[in-house]
Amino acid sequence: MAKTSKTESSSKKKKMKKSSKTGPKSKDMKLKPPKENPFEAIWSRRKFDILGKKRKGEQRRIGEARSSAIEKRKKTLLKEYEQSGKSSMFVDKRIGENDEGLGEFDKAIMRSQRERQMKLKKNKYSLSDEDEEDFDFGVSLGRDDFDEEVPFDEDEEDYARDDKSAILGQLNSHGSQNAQPGPVEAEENRKKSKKEVMEEIIQKSKFFKAQKAKDREENDELTEQLDKDFTSLVNSKALLSLTQPDKINALKALVNKNISVDNVKKDEVADAPRKGSIGKEKPDTYEMLVSEMAMDIRARPSNRTKTPEEIAQEEKERLELLEKERQNRMAAVDDESDEDGNASDDDSKLVRDPRTLSGDDLGDDLEEAPRNKLGWIGEILRRKESELESEDAASTGDSDSEEDDGEDEGSDDGEEEGSGNGDDEGSDEDEEEGKTQTIKDWEQSDDDLIDTEEEDDEEGSGDDAKKVMKIKDLKEVDVKGKEVGTVQTKKEKTTLEHPQSELPYTIEAPKTLEEFTSLIDNCSDDQIIEAIRRIRTFNAITVAAENKKKMQVFYGVLLQYFAVLANKKPLNFKLLNLLVKPLMEMSAATPYFAAICARQRLQRMRTQFCEDLKHTGKSSWPSLKTVFLLRLWSMIFPCSDFRHCVMTPAILLMCEYLMRCPIICGRDIAIASFLCSLLLSVTKQSQKFCPEAIVFLQTLLMAALDREQRFENLQLNNLMEIKELGPLLCIRSSNVEMGSLDFLELMDLPEDSQYFDSDNYRASILVTVLETLQGFVNVYKDLISFPEIFMPISKLLCKLSRENHIPGALREKIKDVSQLIDTKAQEHHMLRQPLKMRKKKPVPIRMLNPKFEENYVKGRDYDPDRERAEKKKLKKRIKEEAKGAARELRKDKDFLAKAKEREKALLAEEKAEKYGKALAFLQEQEHAFKSGQLGKGRKRRR
Amino acid sequence: MVRAYKVKGEKRKKKGENYDKEEIEEQLEEEPKVSEKRAKMEHTAADTEAAERVVDLLAGIPVVATDQTSKPGVIFIIERASLEIAKIGKTYQLLNSDEHSNFLKKNGRNPSDYRPDIAHQAMLSILDSRVNKAGRLKALYVKTEKGVLFEVKPHVRIPRTFKRFAGIMLQLLQKLSITAVGKREKLLRVIKNPVTQYLPIDCRKIGFSHSSEKLVDIQDYVNGVNNDTNLVFVVGAMAHGKIDKDYVEDYLSVSDYPLSAAYCISMITNAVERKWKIL
Repeated sequence: MAKTSKTESSSKKKKMKKSSKTGPKSKDMKLKPPKENPFEAIWSRRKFDILGKKRKGEQRRIGEARSSAIEKRKKTLLKEYEQSGKSSMFVDKRIGENDEGLGEFDKAIMRSQRERQMKLKKNKYSLSDEDEEDFDFGVSLGRDDFDEEVPFDEDEEDYARDDKSAILGQLNSHGSQNAQPGPVEAEENRKKSKKEVMEEIIQKSKFFKAQKAKDREENDELTEQLDKDFTSLVNSKALLSLTQPDKINALKALVNKNISVDNVKKDEVADAPRKGSIGKEKPDTYEMLVSEMAMDIRARPSNRTKTPEEIAQEEKERLELLEKERQNRMAAVDDESDEDGNASDDDSKLVRDPRTLSGDDLGDDLEEAPRNKLGWIGEILRRKESELESEDAASTGDSDSEEDDGEDEGSDDGEEEGSGNGDDEGSDEDEEEGKTQTIKDWEQSDDDLIDTEEEDDEEGSGDDAKKVMKIKDLKEVDVKGKEVGTVQTKKEKTTLEHPQSELPYTIEAPKTLEEFTSLIDNCSDDQIIEAIRRIRTFNAITVAAENKKKMQVFYGVLLQYFAVLANKKPLNFKLLNLLVKPLMEMSAATPYFAAICARQRLQRMRTQFCEDLKHTGKSSWPSLKTVFLLRLWSMIFPCSDFRHCVMTPAILLMCEYLMRCPIICGRDIAIASFLCSLLLSVTKQSQKFCPEAIVFLQTLLMAALDREQRFENLQLNNLMEIKELGPLLCIRSSNVEMGSLDFLELMDLPEDSQYFDSDNYRASILVTVLETLQGFVNVYKDLISFPEIFMPISKLLCKLSRENHIPGALREKIKDVSQLIDTKAQEHHMLRQPLKMRKKKPVPIRMLNPKFEENYVKGRDYDPDRERAEKKKLKKRIKEEAKGAARELRKDKDFLAKAKEREKALLAEEKAEKYGKALAFLQEQEHAFKSGQLGKGRKRRR
Repeated sequence: MVRAYKVKGEKRKKKGENYDKEEIEEQLEEEPKVSEKRAKMEHTAADTEAAERVVDLLAGIPVVATDQTSKPGVIFIIERASLEIAKIGKTYQLLNSDEHSNFLKKNGRNPSDYRPDIAHQAMLSILDSRVNKAGRLKALYVKTEKGVLFEVKPHVRIPRTFKRFAGIMLQLLQKLSITAVGKREKLLRVIKNPVTQYLPIDCRKIGFSHSSEKLVDIQDYVNGVNNDTNLVFVVGAMAHGKIDKDYVEDYLSVSDYPLSAAYCISMITNAVERKWKIL
């Protein structure tokens, strides 16, 4: 059997080979169509050729596609059509015959396999014979042979794999259940030979070794890093602060050793287990240290940072303590009068000391702040004065001083210094004349000091004229000298009447002005300030809630005190200056209350002013007190606010004063010009427009003109009537001296003083007016209506400069100012454009943004609504499918119709042929009949 | 196989352009609204008219002509713009000498010819010009090297960055039209060649070429043109070579130096603006 089967198989193989030879032929047939149809050669044309794009149906030709479709129909539809009239059909059940893709060779393989399977199936149930066993063995052998063959020539395997897999797939699809595992699978299971396994094991062991080495290296590195860190830690201060010094020393020693023995240690670490005994000895000290340090205190708690309330509380307590000590000392000191002096000295020291020692700003600021804050009054005063000075000085000096002023206005530094000067001057004024001689002695000694102080000033003001500088220096020196003097006198005073002048350390806030005045009776200025400071510290708002009320009351009292002080006849200007500082600080603490106070006072001032206006005889210009208060508020409250509950009414009030008060005497002019400069300082930052001030300045300038010229200018006539302004400022004589004007001094003079009628006074006033005007020009230079506001003034100035008796310096100044106005106005005129009717810029066309996607892909729906897009897509597909189906059906129908046509034509042809034949026969018959039986049908006779 | 049924009715090709069909419909829809509005506005319009009459009466005040429709305009044609898309990898991209030089070399093209940035700059300088802002730019046509002609409406805001421009061109050349954001109006669309069928009858077609013998001052030339004729300027946006189109009546050279397309356009627009006093 076996032999036969072998022979069979071999014969089949031969067959296969034969068929395989024939098989490819069919493939070749497909690739090479026998005849090239010229229509099929036409390719589809592309409209927009896109580089790099490979279209799906690129290779297909329309003609070819059509012909292939027809072929397909011939195979299917035509067959069906042909079958439709028949009751039975031939079914080809040969294996693999239905499958188009199989070659002859594959078919043969499948058939043989099926054959074998059938045999096996048969064998299953048949009893086993020896022959059959043999056969089985042979089969298994054959299989083995097949398997062993594979690994040797792998190329072949690769080549055959496709076929095999195809076969396998075929088998599975046929549902034949192979009990044995596939040969390929077996191969895979068997693949791990012993050799391979061993190799694997060796590789694994190598890998683990490498891993271990790597770990060890990492360990070494880590320990090294730790050592380094430790040395740096020991050297740093952090550890030092945490541990005791002796330990640190030990540690350092250890570290040094470590460093020296570093290399040795490395080795140790590397083979620690081997040298364990040696290694153990060494870290002993280190370990001890570590354990000790672990027991140490880690960190000491530091003092908590204090809140402002606590600081205030402490301050209060300190003051109380001092007070107690003082009381004690007072009790003890009564016995010995000698030590009093020392005690008082101590006191003064104590008064001084807290300023320098305590971290509070209060103490430090006290010296600087008054200078700082009272800047503007001083500045204005000083400006007046410096103007006068500059008039005296040479023409070059004049311009310099102007520059100086300008810079002072601009820069804070300059302002500070200037204010300092002003302050000093204000305080000095009385004694100035008398003391100049004595003070000059101080000049030499204090020169150095002054120089250092003046450094800032010099930097700020730039190139001052030397003369001006000298004058300033002089004044500084004066101040110094006087201060020293006062200190000396104070000392004497304190020694004389110490129980009265000595201040208690804890002072309750006084509730009324009387209380306050009684408290500070017979006190020097510095002591008053100190008292106020103590009151404020003792009753600090941050200490207790009820202090707020106390302080508010005290603030009112202080303000009242300020007002009273301003009204006193021998004016204590220095004290006023000193008072400003605490007032400002307190109003910062209670801004709401301060604003209310200010508003109340303003209201009272206004009513007072209205009353005064009704009594025509009385001068309605504000008193010195009012002026000072206004000045104070302008420092306390922000002037640059657009609308402020205090400053806005204050400014309005000032403007009203300027507008409504008639000018009767020279003193009024001084007050008015001061108000103007105050307004200037207030409006400097905000650039608010104050027409009243400017109009007033204009009227003042007009007052400097002669009568005849004045009435040419009719615009201001009504104003002139109100003011009843005579040629008050008209300079009559030619020899005029322009000295510095001092506002306070002027205020002290009686109303009908001769000085107000002097030409000197007039000239000086004119200078101040011009200065203020210049300031206003600089402030308002950005206003659009600048030319309209200032051009009349410029004209006026021109006229004024043409006056007869105007001194040269003043004339220069006038020219300067008018020139400034002219240039500024010119600039404005340059920028102005003619008025346009219905001024409208041409409107550009409206642009539209195109809508596009970032990475556009054709065919993708960019609808943001996903659902709709999906729906659209599906609809499109449905439409496409429907169209395709319709097209196919139509083509089918056409095809069938053609087939039917062909059939019909065939039938018709047949019919026609038959008909023709019959007809021919008949015709022949007829012919025979007519021709007398001649021809073909001779034999047939009727 | 032949077509089974004859298509009934008119052939699609002969229907004529219907690109703006939707727009026309929209306009038709809008018209009644406009009339309503007009009714509302009528009295205010009367008021303004009265005011204008008063203005007319005032001496020395020039009255601005209101109807701008009758004014001649200017049309730009950008020829030989190298706007070509290709499928690179899996995405489509506008070919560009910077990024796709390898791809172009592989496909046997010269990378230096692919300069879409020239067309971008040229379009920007046209659309940014005062002529356009004043509404005197009638149309802008761009013809690519491949022969695709597309129209750019004067009121398009072309993206200023090149990347976005490339995106818009990519979409235009694939989708054949670009709509406005939130509107159905087509701002850019591919149209049929030749471009001459879209030009007005009374126009002067002026081409620019450095190779031209006729070297003129553009300002003088523009001033010399009759005030009523529309001006058509044909500018090339290619890196090398020149335009030579038979529809161009006059080839000019405006400078001794070879100029970039964008600068040449700015010269032209400046000249036209000065002629028409557009400030």
